[in-house]
Amino acid sequence: MMKIKRVIYNNKLFTVVLLTYIVLTALIPGKAVQAFQNSLYYVKEMLMIMPVILLLTSLITAWVPRKAIEDNFGKGSGIKGSILSFLLGSFSAGPIYAAFPVCKALLAKGASISNIVVILSTWAVIKVPMLVNEAKFLSPKFMIIRWILTTISIFLLGFIMSKMIKKEDLPQEKSNDHEEKGGIHLSQEYCIGCGLCAKIAPDYFELINKRAIVKNAFIKDGEEIIVRDVIGKCPAKVISTT
Amino acid sequence: MDIFTSIFWIATLIWFVASMVRDRKKTLNAVKMSGGMMKGMASEIIAILFLIGLILTFIPPNTIKSFMGESNILIATIIFAFIGCITLIPAFVAFPLVGSLMDSGANIVPVVAFLTTLTMVGIVTFPLEKKEFGIKFTLLRNSLSFIFAIVIAVIMGVII
Repeated sequence: MMKIKRVIYNNKLFTVVLLTYIVLTALIPGKAVQAFQNSLYYVKEMLMIMPVILLLTSLITAWVPRKAIEDNFGKGSGIKGSILSFLLGSFSAGPIYAAFPVCKALLAKGASISNIVVILSTWAVIKVPMLVNEAKFLSPKFMIIRWILTTISIFLLGFIMSKMIKKEDLPQEKSNDHEEKGGIHLSQEYCIGCGLCAKIAPDYFELINKRAIVKNAFIKDGEEIIVRDVIGKCPAKVISTT
Repeated sequence: MDIFTSIFWIATLIWFVASMVRDRKKTLNAVKMSGGMMKGMASEIIAILFLIGLILTFIPPNTIKSFMGESNILIATIIFAFIGCITLIPAFVAFPLVGSLMDSGANIVPVVAFLTTLTMVGIVTFPLEKKEFGIKFTLLRNSLSFIFAIVIAVIMGVII
């Protein structure tokens, strides 16, 4: 019973739509069939483009040197910094909240406010695989014009924000050292549920309710490499060791 | 399959083969990761695709056209920009959704406003953002993004 509840809760929208179709089939079957047929066109189009987007996202994750970009963030890296921020955001995977820990880490490395805003915004709006999807369903012209306008807006936004916000306005990093030594820590609220950690190190991580949890926080001797591998590969950078 | 999709298929497949040749393990790991993410969104994607069918069946194009097309574009734009702020659906499925609205005669301005606020402004993620960057930063970023979304939408309405 609990399990069914959880499945329904995790798939709220799906449940609502499914119920609507069931009720509709009982009351006005003709309309249900019509709605189903209207959807089929979009399902077909989606099936054609989805594998490409999946592959493209994977290839970007595998080959864009995000680490090198992050390491190149200097304090006064003017235009270069802005461009790097733009690239970092454009070639990332996951929703905007996955960008929060990454940006936090870059702030600590000395990234400027405007660059952080650029990363957050590009991460949210401009993702290369999404552009493919937009061009398909709305038209390449639509996508290109929106891309140009959004890009301009993002740099303006970064500029305005850097004039209005000083670094002192941001909350200072609190050291959360209540974790036990040698343990693995995972900030679950930022997990995007890709399940990579559970696949690489099933002894330490598990995926529950679309979020990863730490099964075993203590690293066994000789397995540090596996855990370090997971930390490096986690796309949202939510795993750390203390 | 249209030319656009075919080109992307070919380019991506070439890259994929090259990637497999260079580093098989790395490639497969990355595919597994995005596959996992996609699986997490699967139920939402299917739900929205079938929701489109319901919308197209029950909301006649004339209603869409008069609400989002002819009558009051400014009000429709602001309403849709707000809906974008509070909705949390993958941008991924937002494109077919708004595509279907536009095919039914919706004006481009509310559509663009919705798309931009959907991704850039986050009411749902506001508490998380506040925790990391503080209230001033979060408030300013979200409200400025909202304004920019409307500006982008209006400019697109003029251009296209």
